[in-house]
Amino acid sequence: MKKTILFADDEPWFHEPVRLALESKGFECLCATDITSAIEIMSSRDIEVVIVDVMMPGGKSFTTIDSQEAGFHLVKIVRDRWPTVAIICLSVIGDAAKVNLIHALRADYLRKGEVPLARVIETIERAAHQGGERTWRFS
Amino acid sequence: MFPHVETTRNTALFIRIRVDFKEMTLTVESTRPSSSTELSAAEQLAKMAAENAALKVELQGARTNNQRYLQNVAHQLTAPLGAIKWSIEALKDPEIRLERKGKLLSSIYSQATILVHLIKNFALMSNLEADHELGQFREKPEPVDILRMCINLANDFQPQAAERGVGIVVSERSFLTARPPEHVRIVKNLVAQALSNLLENAVKYSDIKTTIVIKADIAADGALEGSLIVSVVSIGIPIKELERKRLFDRGFRGDAAKQKVPAGTGIGLYLANRVMQLHGGALGVSLKGQESRFFLVFPASSFA
Repeated sequence: MKKTILFADDEPWFHEPVRLALESKGFECLCATDITSAIEIMSSRDIEVVIVDVMMPGGKSFTTIDSQEAGFHLVKIVRDRWPTVAIICLSVIGDAAKVNLIHALRADYLRKGEVPLARVIETIERAAHQGGERTWRFS
Repeated sequence: MFPHVETTRNTALFIRIRVDFKEMTLTVESTRPSSSTELSAAEQLAKMAAENAALKVELQGARTNNQRYLQNVAHQLTAPLGAIKWSIEALKDPEIRLERKGKLLSSIYSQATILVHLIKNFALMSNLEADHELGQFREKPEPVDILRMCINLANDFQPQAAERGVGIVVSERSFLTARPPEHVRIVKNLVAQALSNLLENAVKYSDIKTTIVIKADIAADGALEGSLIVSVVSIGIPIKELERKRLFDRGFRGDAAKQKVPAGTGIGLYLANRVMQLHGGALGVSLKGQESRFFLVFPASSFA
């Protein structure tokens, strides 16, 4: 059975190359452009890995949260409701405190657009096969 | 060391200044707070100290805002470059089928367009202030075919709009009906950037599967009578009446705009407004529920 990856990201131009590379390796990819729709998809589908951007819209159920850091809310919700799902934050944020916060939630962090695409794909593949019970660290 | 300062007035006011270099503090106090004049001076010093403290807090707030703004600008500039880089890496991936790669080329084109547009805005920001101080444009106004300009810009933004499932239409009929002058004397690059800013916003904030319409009118009456009005009409996030007054402020972004598109510089409408003011025209907005109409006003005096 195909493993499913969910992209929670409002910038399609970023996840498009990642999606094409993953689909060519046999993964199924779904996309949500805000937190509300990401949770809706998570509730109705079996997801192995969720890829989260930090800056993204909350959508209709999260109208008051700060969209600059909305991804953190999604990471917390996923970790709480779907503890075995692997989470990878793909973001341009470089703030060490925020990266530590992501790691503390047992989510991985890769810098968007800077880390080579091949490494992103490798990280997602590994996460999809191992599940969310383990964490991965990259120097 | 405790120096004292004596005033030249008859009612001597002795002030003691204590400087602690270790703690980096400076204390000023009146040594003889006996008369009402001296008390007043002490009160004045206390007031100044309070004002100083308030300014310090304000400065700290401005620094934080500035830092956040710069982070946002950095994100705006690096994001398209990062997307281009990953798209090129995906193009080189032999496992991705050739027929699926066309979309990546289109994405690279639209990201490059976004980047050029952003950089032009930042360059324009400093140039406009200089132009304003000089009281003249550094580039010479020239006769420009506005309809042609609208069509060219609509083409530029087409791939970006298509990515969001949004269409762009230039209403040639409105140009024919309104019969605007064939040419308007303007600084082409500046007005093109102003119109681009309206279009970029429309593309970013429009609801999916809606169409952005660019149209022309000649104002029939009122203060703008005889002016050419070029409008960009879109359906998307509703703009609050309270926010309307601040839409053209530098760096301002409405709450709904920030919710829908977290990253943004908030300088597009500010620049469009400045450009039109420098042309003796104006930038206007009219709102009706989810429909927003932003329009550039070219006064009859600019008709070539």
